[in-house]
Amino acid sequence: MSSEIWVVADIKADGQVRKVTFEVLSEARRKLGGSVCAVLLGSGVSDKASELAGYGAEKVYVVDNPNLKDFNPDGYVKSLCELIKKHSPAVVLSGNTAFAEDYMPRVASGVGSGLAMDCVDIGMTDDGRLKIKRYSHSSRAISTQEFSGDGSAMIATVRPNSFKEEEAAGAGQVVNEDVGVTDADIKIKVLEMKTKESDRPELTEAERVVSGGRGLGSEENFNHIYDLADLLGAAAGATRAAVDAGYCPYDMQVGQTGKAVSPILYVAVAISGSVQHFSGMGSSKVIVSINKDPEAPIFAKSDYGICGDLFQVLPPLTEELKKALSE
Amino acid sequence: MKIVVFITQTQDTEARIKVGSSGDSIDTEGMKWIMNPYDEFAVEEAIKTKEAYGGEVILITAGPQRASQALLQGLAMGADSAVHISDEALGETVDSLVLSKLIASELGKIEGVDLIFTGMKIIDEESVQVGIQIAEELGIAHLALVSKVIDVKPDEKKLVCQKEIDGGSVSVEVSLPALITCPDAMNEPRYASVPNIMKAKRKPMKVVSLDDVDFGSLGIGRDAVGKSGAKIKTVSLEVPEVERKLRIIKGSDETTVKGDEIAESAKELVKLLRDDAKVI
Repeated sequence: MSSEIWVVADIKADGQVRKVTFEVLSEARRKLGGSVCAVLLGSGVSDKASELAGYGAEKVYVVDNPNLKDFNPDGYVKSLCELIKKHSPAVVLSGNTAFAEDYMPRVASGVGSGLAMDCVDIGMTDDGRLKIKRYSHSSRAISTQEFSGDGSAMIATVRPNSFKEEEAAGAGQVVNEDVGVTDADIKIKVLEMKTKESDRPELTEAERVVSGGRGLGSEENFNHIYDLADLLGAAAGATRAAVDAGYCPYDMQVGQTGKAVSPILYVAVAISGSVQHFSGMGSSKVIVSINKDPEAPIFAKSDYGICGDLFQVLPPLTEELKKALSE
Repeated sequence: MKIVVFITQTQDTEARIKVGSSGDSIDTEGMKWIMNPYDEFAVEEAIKTKEAYGGEVILITAGPQRASQALLQGLAMGADSAVHISDEALGETVDSLVLSKLIASELGKIEGVDLIFTGMKIIDEESVQVGIQIAEELGIAHLALVSKVIDVKPDEKKLVCQKEIDGGSVSVEVSLPALITCPDAMNEPRYASVPNIMKAKRKPMKVVSLDDVDFGSLGIGRDAVGKSGAKIKTVSLEVPEVERKLRIIKGSDETTVKGDEIAESAKELVKLLRDDAKVI
């Protein structure tokens, strides 16, 4: 086993490196010791190596292959497994994105490793075993877990917005790897990809999130959520009830089966506050809620709030926010 | 179509939870155990697929004796038979890798499986990985977070579905057999009727003991089931009390703000966000 700590870069549909990659590189450097390296997998991604070096990567392992496109897990599984077997890194990390949740479990199986997902803290024991914290039980419990140190690579994914990104010059030595991913390795055929062009930040990496619940009452009324989100430069989210009611698409769902978010500011509009919803946003730094039911459970878990009808409260609130933001 | 559903029995995370005396797990005294809610979507999708294309639905789980309750629930929903890898040691947290190997070894004995469904997450451990790792052990494709099955082509042994990805969705085609993980957006799970609950008890349930498992062929020792052989160990667990500021602005009658109170509440909230929370 080498002492290398690997951080697998997450690439967005637009080809940019996801912010969580820089967060994990930074925290790995601060907390894990060893030589922090990046792994860059994708199609036409080679030019991103220097960005990774800018956050302290000593080496950047690159697999640039046309079969690594469209967020198709098969090619990533093969590539990362081959790299891990060849170089035996001590630790392999990545952001906990939907894509990482898709392919990383197979990688762990493929190399016989333990896998800790959606971690909110990482560190090392004195004898060089990865130690993490992660939520369980609908985010109501938090456990500290340690890898046994059996010599297999210790693999973990990290919740976005858990750590601060910090630039640091790394050597960034590019190591091109030809894993030889071929068409035969790709079992899943992508027929059509629908990614949304949106000026709003992505839910999982946004510093501010505005979410709406079933109380919005219609798809049209969700414009109140979008307007407030845009005013705050926030991402827009929703509860499962609002998604089920057809007010907004599934990819806006925050909660146990939707996305887990950890923003600095979470604004919950007409959300009662189920255990399942809290599971996805309970680690937000500041929670603000607007609800007309004085008994809504969300109030007992909020920092600030207004008990009031959203249709009456949002217009003056928007005006006041505009004033405050322009000052 | 031969369809298998991998289910688990989990703690009811909506119940009140507290840390057990060992300090590294939840106190299970008096715990209510339920079928993992996301597995209900998987069972529903399997039954719907069977109703449309014919065939059979087989449930599989690994857990202590009590886990048979979850299997009975799935049988009452309409599955045909069940396999229970049963051992009290499986009541403790087991590495996902070990669990997936155990399930894959039994699943591999079922001939002619076309489709495997499972929930996208096991709620007590908040684990999304076991199902996908079963697919890796079996060497078949998996599709995570499938929000809609668009077309099943039993004759061509192909499946078309829509899966959710970061920032959008994607339509994909895959050859069968394949494993699919199911989110809650997928369907509306049915309730089991009383007659079907009675009938479920008479459906075939195969119980497999850990003594019958050929650990050598799985590449793990029997001690891998249990804490001593785990690759990841929980050293401590807390149920933190969330400390929030609870500064909720209400109307003078302790309910909603009304009249002039509305504009004032908006002003006050923005002031709090700016001066107290310092988030704007």
